[in-house]
Amino acid sequence: MREEGLINQIGCAMKTVKLLALGAGIALAACSQPAANDGDSARVVNVYSARHYSSDDAIYAAFTEQTGIAVNLVSAGGDQLIERVRADGERSPADVIITVDAARLHRAEEAGLFAQTDFGALTDTIPANLVDPQGYWVSIAKRARVIAYSSTRVQPGDIETYEDLADPRWQGRFCVRSSGNAYNQSLLASIVARSGEEAAEAWAQGVVDNMARAPQGGDTTQLEGIAAGECDLAVVNHYYYALMANSDEPARQAASETVSLLFPNQQGSGTHINVSGAGIAANAPHPDEARALIEFFFSADAQRMFAEMTNEIPVIADTAWENPTLEAMLPFVEDERNVSELGDHNATAQRIFDRVGWQ
Amino acid sequence: MAAAARSIRRQAWLPGRATGLAVLAATLCAAPVLAVAWIALTGETGDYLRHLAGTRLPTYLTSSAVVALIAAAGSGLIGTSLGWLIARTDFFGRRTLGWVLILPLAVPAYVAAYAWLDLSHAGGPLQALTGGLFPTIRGSWGAGLMFAFVLYPYVYLLARNAFAAQSADAYNAARTLGAGPFYAFWRTSLPMARPAIAAGLALVVMESLADYGTVSHLGAPTLSIGLIRAWSGAGSLVDAARLSLVLVLVAILVFGLERAQRSRARNINAAGRHKPAPRLQLTGLTALAAFLACLLPLLLGMLIPLGRLGWLALRTEAASGLAAASLHSLTLAGITALIAAALGLGTAYALRSRTVMATLAARAAGLGYAVPGAVAAVGVIALLSGTQALIDPAWRALTGDVFPVLLTSTGAALVLAYLSRFAAAAISPAETALARITPSLDGAARTLGATPRRRVWQIHWPLIAAGVTSAGLLVFVEVLKELPATMILRPFNYDTLAIIAHNFASDERLGEAALPSLLIPLVALLPMVFVARYLSRQDR
Repeated sequence: MREEGLINQIGCAMKTVKLLALGAGIALAACSQPAANDGDSARVVNVYSARHYSSDDAIYAAFTEQTGIAVNLVSAGGDQLIERVRADGERSPADVIITVDAARLHRAEEAGLFAQTDFGALTDTIPANLVDPQGYWVSIAKRARVIAYSSTRVQPGDIETYEDLADPRWQGRFCVRSSGNAYNQSLLASIVARSGEEAAEAWAQGVVDNMARAPQGGDTTQLEGIAAGECDLAVVNHYYYALMANSDEPARQAASETVSLLFPNQQGSGTHINVSGAGIAANAPHPDEARALIEFFFSADAQRMFAEMTNEIPVIADTAWENPTLEAMLPFVEDERNVSELGDHNATAQRIFDRVGWQ
Repeated sequence: MAAAARSIRRQAWLPGRATGLAVLAATLCAAPVLAVAWIALTGETGDYLRHLAGTRLPTYLTSSAVVALIAAAGSGLIGTSLGWLIARTDFFGRRTLGWVLILPLAVPAYVAAYAWLDLSHAGGPLQALTGGLFPTIRGSWGAGLMFAFVLYPYVYLLARNAFAAQSADAYNAARTLGAGPFYAFWRTSLPMARPAIAAGLALVVMESLADYGTVSHLGAPTLSIGLIRAWSGAGSLVDAARLSLVLVLVAILVFGLERAQRSRARNINAAGRHKPAPRLQLTGLTALAAFLACLLPLLLGMLIPLGRLGWLALRTEAASGLAAASLHSLTLAGITALIAAALGLGTAYALRSRTVMATLAARAAGLGYAVPGAVAAVGVIALLSGTQALIDPAWRALTGDVFPVLLTSTGAALVLAYLSRFAAAAISPAETALARITPSLDGAARTLGATPRRRVWQIHWPLIAAGVTSAGLLVFVEVLKELPATMILRPFNYDTLAIIAHNFASDERLGEAALPSLLIPLVALLPMVFVARYLSRQDR
């Protein structure tokens, strides 16, 4: 008899727990709903973005102010966003999908997440190599992957191309981050596209043989490695140098003064660029608003904010902006291969990295 | 004797509705992992895994082993010694240190890694200070150290509870027989605390193996790096899921070893408050030494890395939206912790019934801990979208309309993801605590005519309160710093502190990342103070 009483006790406790959990669940469900709803009165656009920069918040605020369209935002890694949109299928609330690497755009396109769009006049204002040939997405800002070198231990002219990085004369003098990083993958993919898999693998092997240390940290870590004398050369995205040069911290800023940037392959194929790109989701509940937002990314305002707030390179050449650090880097000859090709060779690049032991 | 005891336990905890409910909840927690297994086993087979086996796989495995070993050794050493100091001795500041020592758990390991690498890189402040002698914290050993620095509270918390609950008899007997204090500790107190220490270590090992942010920043190519690369580089979610099954197998092994420890120790771990062990009074130099010993892990895991970030934060404009993010973090962590504590307790009771169903469900629920968060989140998404695909047509047939709720975009989805990831952190402490209620204790209470209600509230609860609240606290802190599942499953415009911190840190804007990183342990302080006060009231 007593045992039954005890069991009832626990049963009651568990029931309370269950009710609590249910209540919490309902409360959470309820609090998440308003964002997904759209009345006729309030226009919204739902953005799934792999970007999480301060410039974007400013751009969305300006967009809302100009158009009255509210922006709902979820930001996460590109692959995660792709998985979420794919799983939600027809019911996905995503209107605009934004990623920061051309290979991710390619993957989203292959997963059928983008609606084919006629971007119309837009495609006339930006270079053709920055637009997806099938019309699934467009690039909204550019970044260059460049060579950083020690101003004291390397003479300008000692090195001119990515290919030079594999030269044995740089043995033990090169720093780079892990090959898990999308920017390194796309750089190698561009070399695969240009010279073929075999040459790319030989190059990657040469680079690994030249490494001063096992890959670690981010691009800033590599710049600091040069400043500290641990290495003489590194490969970084151009804006990390700008970030360091404009740092509020004196030590970091001082370190940047011993490092110089080189835009490689100026005499030949041009410097490798990667992009942030956006497309309209295949099942977008608000396609008009989505289009309005993408068009806004190309407005003088938004393009200026990319250049001034995140040191990215605008895709519209005649944008007016003020950023002395960035201005000093431009202009340069770009690799004019269509950035969508980077996605085609991403898997090959990854396997090369594995084979040559680039951590 | 043993048979009689077992039969009493059976009678006392017949699987009833309560057990059924707990089993159901545990199964729900296990479902996302099962979804991952489903993806792994039913997906297309390419040649990527063969390519991996011929290239990077050995490195991944070695590196994982090194990271796990260093993390376990470091956190075991720190956690056990601190647990003993706080539970069994008395010195200046002990009461406050008792809960402050948990705080490093609230420092995300990747934040500690960002700060330590920033401090110790070539040409950084630490090298400048030591004339280049200070080694750069990097690679597998560096990552292992980071985990030891911030995850030791798992071991500390569980070991402390175990030491505090030990009766002094064995230790005193050893002392009477001429053993010195340390030898007596080594031969009596430590073996009795072994199940708790093992439970803590199991959590540390699994969390280090499932981590991605720390190991990728410090350049420690563990298996979780490999599986994220399979996903992001080779574009194969299926192969990533398959590699995560390896981690699940490791988890089964680790948790199995831990339980072997527990069952071996069951007979010697005599519980009881009938003879509370007197604290060893430390004075003078020994008290100072104890105080400094407690300060060291605080410095390494929290004060130094957060101090560095704070210093950077002073020079940077504060990010916006931190107040809202704090509230979001607090809400998610609070709700999940309450549910998790109840779940842990319910499951622990269900486990006492020793039915196969209960055991299977509880063990399966614990496996989510082994899967890297990004993959676990995919499991949740797959599960929910599968459910949606079942509900939608039925709902349309009934009402002619689509089902009003998109399951993946609800807060409940997020809570499910957390529970499935952290159920192990909830079940383990509750189970360890409940193990202290021996059948003889129940039997005695029954013989003396205690009603079931009295038995639960007056006998069980005081003995397990610390364990259950610890479980809630662990989950609370875990949710505060959880990243991948939060990122992908959160509703629109819903940032948490961990997300803001990570976004800036991954942009290599450490200054901006500093303030949100500092806020995470501060938010964690709230429940910790509450729990610490509640438990010290229970003590009296």
